Amino acid sequence: MSRTNIRNRRSRKKIHKDFELQLTSMMDILVIILVFLLKSYQTSTNSFTSVPGIKLPLSKSQDNPPDSLHLIVTPEAITFENQRIVEFVQSPGAIDGGASLSYEFRDEDLDEGGLRVVRLYDALNRAREKAEVLRAKSEARDADGNPLPFDGLIAIQADKRVKYETLRKILYTAGAAEFRTFRLLAMKQE
Amino acid sequence: MFKRPSSRRRTQPQEVMVNLVPMMDALVTMIAFLMYTMAFMSLTMIESPLPIVSSSENEQQLKERPLQLTITIKPGEVLIWSPFELVPSVSVPHKGEQPDLPKIHETLLGIKQKFPRENKVILVPNDTTPYDTIIGLMDAIRLLEKTDPPMSAVNPETGVDEQVKTLFSDVVFGNLLGSGESS
Repeated sequence: MSRTNIRNRRSRKKIHKDFELQLTSMMDILVIILVFLLKSYQTSTNSFTSVPGIKLPLSKSQDNPPDSLHLIVTPEAITFENQRIVEFVQSPGAIDGGASLSYEFRDEDLDEGGLRVVRLYDALNRAREKAEVLRAKSEARDADGNPLPFDGLIAIQADKRVKYETLRKILYTAGAAEFRTFRLLAMKQE
Repeated sequence: MFKRPSSRRRTQPQEVMVNLVPMMDALVTMIAFLMYTMAFMSLTMIESPLPIVSSSENEQQLKERPLQLTITIKPGEVLIWSPFELVPSVSVPHKGEQPDLPKIHETLLGIKQKFPRENKVILVPNDTTPYDTIIGLMDAIRLLEKTDPPMSAVNPETGVDEQVKTLFSDVVFGNLLGSGESS
């Protein structure tokens, strides 16, 4: 009994001694993965990320959005530079993506005949003033030696179900706060 | 007399083992780095400027009767028209509930062939138009497809005939400031 055990142990040891891990096939797989990653590699020059709860529309445009001030329109609220600014009127089923998404503003959030979103206007104005102060302190100057003017760029990332009525109020408010160029973000359609 | 066989034949070829472990380490590190820095969500943008309130310069331009191509989204149809009637108004009925994008693109292509230097379009969506539809329509207005016939236009600055790369690239929302049709 004990002799067979010793024999088994010896044979096991022998197997271990001869065993060599075959890395060639694994290398092949890794090289293929590497080639695929290098082929489809693309880096992002901006800080825009996907936002849970919003579905972006698809666009065939090939322009990559550079970094700029960022406004997000989700079914629940408007977020500007990671701060929740205005909340929409919530209807039952709005959060879980039901058909009853309202995207409606409360009456007290609007002025100028229901076109300007007050709290959003204040937030955008603050951002513009901050940008202007930073530009005044910056060493970058134009040909006349004046600080560079405020670029007035704003990137808008909105859910594809947002109606133009809501979008119009947001764009109008941004325009009132001297944001002159709107960058409408979408998912790139390959 | 036979020669004595070479000793090389008798000796077994020595097995050369390449140490793949450091190479594996390098590959795994590279894959990890690439996956970490890769942008999996590919975003794109469509730029639209804020419409400008009429000034004396604009009034001068208006005297020259610009094309001012306008695309109005109405319930059930999309109207392509020019306020100065430089092009005949075209109504493109919706396909189902969505605008007929290929037909709109085709109509705009015809207008672009007549006005190859024109790049501006005024888009007037109605209040119920979803953002998705607006983006789709902006793509049809702005971009030339690979199947579209090539177009060229003389660059007034250089006097050289250049290939037109976009359809109507500058899309402005016409009813943003409260004027115009919106519902």
